[in-house]
Amino acid sequence: MRALRRGLIVLGVAVLAGGIMRLRGKGGVPPTSGGWRELEGPDFR
Amino acid sequence: MTTVMLVGTGAVGARAARQLTDTAGIERVLIVERRKSHADVVAAAMGARAEVLEWTADSPVPDGVAAVACALPAGAEQPIASRAVEAGVPFASSGDDEHDLMGLRSLTEPARRAGITVLAGCGLAPGLSDVLARHAADAFDEVDEIGVARAGTAGDACIATAGRALRGGCAELRDGVYDESRRRGGHELVWFPEPIGPRECERVATGVQLLSGAVPDADRITVRLARDDTGARKRWLGRRDPEGSWGAVRVEVWGRRGAAREPIVYGAIERTAIAAGTVLAVTTAALAGALPGLLAPSAGVFGLGGVAQPRAFLEELSRRGVKAAIFEGVPVA
Repeated sequence: MRALRRGLIVLGVAVLAGGIMRLRGKGGVPPTSGGWRELEGPDFR
Repeated sequence: MTTVMLVGTGAVGARAARQLTDTAGIERVLIVERRKSHADVVAAAMGARAEVLEWTADSPVPDGVAAVACALPAGAEQPIASRAVEAGVPFASSGDDEHDLMGLRSLTEPARRAGITVLAGCGLAPGLSDVLARHAADAFDEVDEIGVARAGTAGDACIATAGRALRGGCAELRDGVYDESRRRGGHELVWFPEPIGPRECERVATGVQLLSGAVPDADRITVRLARDDTGARKRWLGRRDPEGSWGAVRVEVWGRRGAAREPIVYGAIERTAIAAGTVLAVTTAALAGALPGLLAPSAGVFGLGGVAQPRAFLEELSRRGVKAAIFEGVPVA
């Protein structure tokens, strides 16, 4: 019975950790410096 | 007199109608819509250049039509494209359903024989994203990798299509080989221009092959879609805003200039329906000959990136309020 309880606790922690990691995503490419500039006339020449 | 036929006046089609009637070289826009009363309302709002046409895909394309634009929900494009090919009239569609895109590509041989251009995926992504990718690729000696991501949907039909894309299998071009997979994986936080900002996106198959045709030297191509644009909550929220939801596209292209490997990142942000409708209208007007110099069309079926002259096309979109941007900085952590 104790083993079952421990197993369920471990499973619950694993599901919680997995959920948090999924919510956080895989990082992507955060723009650490710089910004967006609208394309204007000279960019189209 | 240059006449174009627009089939469908939903969220994207109505915006395309406005852009077409505002184009100097277009004298007449024939509006085809299953819902007669809706077609009357749209035509009345567009003024004297627009008129309602009762037409179905069982009938031939009327004489005198210079180009056909299609903004219909998934599953309805191919019969209309076939009628256009039979009539020898160029065709453009804003649909982004991968099965529809495949269906249009199956018309390649008939379109070549007829000597006309069929353009698939002329919306935000695929569409504007392909033009931005081609524009970035032109700046490199050699292109390695293209990553496209889109957030935003234009209307209920678009939300449904995006939902199907996210539920179905995904695909990517890897080492130059088209690789389909039932397992999705690969979700990633993508940084769109503000105010959209970071959104979690998942890989989809939508438009990978079209983009591969536009940039054939790219070894790797991925397309991602923001998942939180497809739920019932989104449908409800979307109805609250008559202008539709905001959308954004981010196109990251890696390539080599000399010895250096570097990225170019382009983005755009606009109401999704307005962006898609404007891209469709500009494409159709260019196919009809009303906007010369924007496309270099040849016979066959292509994505927009395969025929657009990126600088001229982006400048025309910018003139109409759909403005692209470049990320200047260091786009890596």
